[in-house]
Amino acid sequence: MAVDARPVARSAPFLRGRRRSTATTAGLIGTPIVWLVVFFLVPVGIAALYSVGVFSFFPGEQRFTLTYWKDFVDGSVYLDVFWRSVKISLLTSVIAVLLAYPLAYYLALVAGSRKYVLLLILISPFFVSYFLRLFAMKVLLGDQGVVNSFAYWTGIRDPEHPIPQLIYSQFAVVTTLIVIYVPFVALPIFAALENLDRRLLEAASDLGASRWQAFRKVTLPLSLPGVLAAFVFVFIPTLGEYFTPLLVGGTSGHMFGNSIADAFLSSQDWQTGSMLSVFLLATVAILMAVFARFLSMQRLETE
Amino acid sequence: MSTEHDGETTKRTLGRGDFLKLGALTVGSGVLAACGAEGASEPEPAAQGSTEKAEERPPIESEPGDLNILEWAGYEYPTLGGKGGPLQPYVDQYGKPKYAFLTSDDQALGKVRAGVTPDIVHPCVSYVKDWVDLGYIQPWDTSLMPNFKDLNPSLVKNAQYEGQQYFVPLDWSFSAPMYRDDMVEPEGGEDTWAVMYDDRYSGKISWWDSPLENFLIWGYVQGFDPYDWDQWTDDVLGDATSYLIEKKKNVRNFWSSEPDMIADFKNGNIWIAYAWGNAFSQVKSSDVSVVYGDPKEGRLSWNCGLVLAKDTENYRHAHEYANAWASAEMAAWLIPNYAYGHTNTTVSTADIDPALVEAFKLDDPTALEEPKAHIERYAPDRRRFARAWEEVKAA
Repeated sequence: MAVDARPVARSAPFLRGRRRSTATTAGLIGTPIVWLVVFFLVPVGIAALYSVGVFSFFPGEQRFTLTYWKDFVDGSVYLDVFWRSVKISLLTSVIAVLLAYPLAYYLALVAGSRKYVLLLILISPFFVSYFLRLFAMKVLLGDQGVVNSFAYWTGIRDPEHPIPQLIYSQFAVVTTLIVIYVPFVALPIFAALENLDRRLLEAASDLGASRWQAFRKVTLPLSLPGVLAAFVFVFIPTLGEYFTPLLVGGTSGHMFGNSIADAFLSSQDWQTGSMLSVFLLATVAILMAVFARFLSMQRLETE
Repeated sequence: MSTEHDGETTKRTLGRGDFLKLGALTVGSGVLAACGAEGASEPEPAAQGSTEKAEERPPIESEPGDLNILEWAGYEYPTLGGKGGPLQPYVDQYGKPKYAFLTSDDQALGKVRAGVTPDIVHPCVSYVKDWVDLGYIQPWDTSLMPNFKDLNPSLVKNAQYEGQQYFVPLDWSFSAPMYRDDMVEPEGGEDTWAVMYDDRYSGKISWWDSPLENFLIWGYVQGFDPYDWDQWTDDVLGDATSYLIEKKKNVRNFWSSEPDMIADFKNGNIWIAYAWGNAFSQVKSSDVSVVYGDPKEGRLSWNCGLVLAKDTENYRHAHEYANAWASAEMAAWLIPNYAYGHTNTTVSTADIDPALVEAFKLDDPTALEEPKAHIERYAPDRRRFARAWEEVKAA
């Protein structure tokens, strides 16, 4: 569409069209923005005010205090739980990415015409609810579960002594989270590999690179943004994980999300609960910013 | 964000608090009948009634009659008020109440603080002071409830606060250590709460994930009355926390869902657990050899009931409803169906399974009295215990 460079030449219908499209854009963008403001920013704001004592839904004294934050920073029990959560999430994310990469690689570069069928199979766990998958893991890992029953059957263990730490442990939490997240993690890596310019691999091969060298020098660096995105996809949601530790974590798998829930539900300590929530949110926001920056730098380098 | 339901839509997922309610088989009317018979010989001082005389209230016909009740799931219409249910006569006469649901005492307080306005709430007795402090409730006029005189006098007295009957005590049950008697031999051959810490059964023990109970148990094992809050200095609470952290290594999990705990017990994953009577009756019905402990330190027990909103427009309806809840029909239904105790002392226990009579000491008229059992009491500083429990969990 040729647009006249002279403003005076703009026709009235054109302006009307512009206005209409502006209104449509505002409507389209406005709805989610209002949604975000009402259901995200306002609650977060309330939690933030709660955490410093200046707001409460209930009658009572309200005055500004940093006690909750100070207690937290001064080496409270919650800080330990936070570091434990970071450890569990980090372990989960790294292993999930390592497991998902070959899967995504196979789908994107090897599977050929079958890849979309295989992709559908890969994401099929999403057709089952999160809770059912969690309970399925309990069935697998329990003392009378599939894994232990097999161990009893083969005589590796006797039924009085099931494999220790298989359930109700940090191991169980990490394993369950990995199983749940691997399909999710494979998708961004798959997308990155799928968009890979195959001619680069051919060029590498023409220039005498072995398959391993081509992978290391071409495929891996180009797929790194996908890998990083995949890592973020697991690390951030698992950091605030609640149900998995509750169901398979036992006494050692207690995570930050459980502390938040306990503060709100068991001890009715909304100030502490809000403070923990705001802290988690801030941590995640900072991590997101760092990752986003890293990703954009990666993209610049590859371009 | 109301969770109000017309009484017809009832089934919900059960939360921890529901399990407290739905837990605990204690076919206790036998005990209570006995206690009642004994207590009846020494009349308890009558609690003062409502500040406003009943005669000054408008007649029931002029009330709106739309009772709103904040209730535990499982106690609503049509479960109780439907055809053949114990509250059917009330529903037939006055119509269906509307139910909103609570999953714990704390949550119920939170909901009312946040603006939910039920006519009646069903908390447990250790929270009566919280409700009075909140300024939300008024005393019942017991003269408007003919069935009130049949309720266990000691529990009625226990439910009074500042001489007022703010609370009609109704359902109740025990909490005790449950263990596999083919696998577990309590230290010294005598039942004790200390079995919850026993190093010999490391990995086979399950504690309830509750901010208060685990400290109470520790107090009992130490030999002091843990409901004597003055005993809980920072040092003592610190000692308890350290001890629980040390013994945590023996604990397989902190259970929060009763069905999960029951499944773990049946599967042999755990041998020892803090349990309510319902868990015992369920495990016992499988082929697991199990004992419902009678620790030398005493069992814990809970007792829930109804409180009345200060500003209710359904004053007389609320009393009719509470009266229906206090009836022998209600007790006769509750015992076999939910396997709870009920404070109505006029119910026959002739048809109760003898094994349950033994497990719950239904033939012992003093089974609910201290030191054999301890009824829940108000905790002035729950937050402190919750913080300490968080420390145990996080360690």
